[in-house]
Amino acid sequence: MFDPYYLQQLAIGLSLGMTYALMAIGFTLIFGVLNVVNFAHGEIYTLGAFAGLVLISATAPPIVAVILGALAVGALAGFSLERLAFKPFRRFTDEASLKSRAMRESTLLSSLAVSIVVREALEIVFGSQMRSVPFDYLINTPVRVGPVILVTGDFIIFGVAAAMLIGLQYLLTRTRVGLAIRAVSNNPLGAKYVGIDTDRTIITTFVVGSMMGAAAGILMGLYYGAVFPAMGFTPGIKAFVAMVMGGLSSIPGAVICALILGISESMATTFVSSGWSDMVAYGFLILTLIFFPNGLFGARRERV
Amino acid sequence: MNASETVATADRLDRRRGRLVPLLIALLVFAALPALLAGFDRGYFYQIANLALIFVLLSASMHLVTGVAGLLHLGHAAFYGVGAYTAALLTSKLGLGFTVTLPLSGLVAALVAFLVALPTMRLVSIYFAVATLAIGQMLYLVMLNWVDFTKGPNGIIVTRGFELFGVSLSGRLATYYTVAAVVTLSVVAISRLSHSYYGNALRSIREDDQCADAMGVRTVRLKMEAFTLSAFFAGVAGSLWAHMTGYISPGDFKFSESILILAMVVVGGLGSLPGAIIGALLLILLPEGLRGLGDFRNIMVGLVMFLSILLLPKGLLGEVSALRLMRRQLGAAWRSTGKDQGTGEGIGWR
Repeated sequence: MFDPYYLQQLAIGLSLGMTYALMAIGFTLIFGVLNVVNFAHGEIYTLGAFAGLVLISATAPPIVAVILGALAVGALAGFSLERLAFKPFRRFTDEASLKSRAMRESTLLSSLAVSIVVREALEIVFGSQMRSVPFDYLINTPVRVGPVILVTGDFIIFGVAAAMLIGLQYLLTRTRVGLAIRAVSNNPLGAKYVGIDTDRTIITTFVVGSMMGAAAGILMGLYYGAVFPAMGFTPGIKAFVAMVMGGLSSIPGAVICALILGISESMATTFVSSGWSDMVAYGFLILTLIFFPNGLFGARRERV
Repeated sequence: MNASETVATADRLDRRRGRLVPLLIALLVFAALPALLAGFDRGYFYQIANLALIFVLLSASMHLVTGVAGLLHLGHAAFYGVGAYTAALLTSKLGLGFTVTLPLSGLVAALVAFLVALPTMRLVSIYFAVATLAIGQMLYLVMLNWVDFTKGPNGIIVTRGFELFGVSLSGRLATYYTVAAVVTLSVVAISRLSHSYYGNALRSIREDDQCADAMGVRTVRLKMEAFTLSAFFAGVAGSLWAHMTGYISPGDFKFSESILILAMVVVGGLGSLPGAIIGALLLILLPEGLRGLGDFRNIMVGLVMFLSILLLPKGLLGEVSALRLMRRQLGAAWRSTGKDQGTGEGIGWR
């Protein structure tokens, strides 16, 4: 049972789960907490990675500057995404249309359309092949911890994910901005009546969530050493699965489920070929939706 | 002229026009287009025409589940793939011909849809959409990774083209006619389904499923039927595709294809069958027409979809106007009969 091989698989699974968690945090903030259906988060992640890559190949700045640049691009992308794909569909202010399915589905489709345009535009500009990150910037120097081998990137990703998680929990539960975000997600019209600037709150959430998505993108780019236009799709799905499993509105729940997902996938690859490992995530998603429609850590929802 | 006479005259006019549009469409599909194609006689044009027809069928089948029943389906291409793989495997392993594989592909796709629908059909809105996405991806992974059975990423070569009772129909024109005939029949069937009391029941589920449930509509069962039927037609389209191109691989049935089909239905107008057909033609023919732009073809799909959601939220031919058009031009079923002539309107669509 305590074969070093399994310990190593466990470590790989944990670091894989951490990478999913990194993506899932920003995703859950926009999708789960603000309750806005956003299918373009994967492209924000890709944009962040490409912004970092362009910075690196243009000026070769220190790594902190690269991440700051990616954060800036993420903020800008989040802002534009909200303006382009979400604001035009919030033209009514009565409660029925704010909560209506038609509006939610139109934003789903519009964010999907924007994500197609962004991905294809990136393919035109950068080509669809993988572009490798210069060797100096990679964060995968091996580190030996007892019987298992980790890389420096694992610690960085763990640190960033923990910082994001704690920072967001603080923001959501202890500050006025967080209070406003939760109020808007709960009842947009009510929030408006008590004097909350709903537009600004939604934009703030998008900017914060997208910055986190972009940071996740550049970290993953440096961790795996490859950046390509379609890179956001799979992590986006995994983040979604983690969010649904975690119960939509709970960010810690999403992180825990991302870890569960990562460990299950790495354990699954010991039994089946790696091509099937994506099946684990989809299987988990279906099983969660069928047996735990409220998620593992979520509050009760009316209908699923 | 009193009211009932006016109605009767309008009715007669309707009836006269009602024969015109279907006739024109039939002439276009079965006479004018083949004549044009034969005139140019280039394999490429035939291919485009067949591809457009197959996507018309896919878009029409998506219309049934997403437009009429209001279930956002993000895995439609997978059922198309199940149909194509059924046809290809039956042909290459058992040596069966098109006449057998066509219905079997539809049935296998419908069976798979029925099985996956059993547990997922009680999910609503976004959760259903995500469940269908997961199912589509799972089926795609099976096509990609079950190498022993599906030959994985190498794909399968389909050795036999179209044939009918032993007569080969694999010439260019014969292929076109086969595809056109199957697609037309299927679209007529979908149109009869979606413009009937049955379609209205599905629409009531789309508008408010809890209310429909309370009114005695068996929502879960109807949703399952719509989902299964749409998968059946997608499977038929898959069989057409497999026999038409002679080679299939998992790449033809991935997530982006589902999105393309969804975009067709959305651009044309959710809930409108003529819209779904127009959307399919637009999104297949426009990129081909813009072939000179090369890499910009896919971006066009996204842009067209985004702009149509933004500027034409009802689609190119919205549901209400589409229904009016269908009612006036295509269907005799809901024209008022002798009994209720005086009341003006018939009682709806049977």
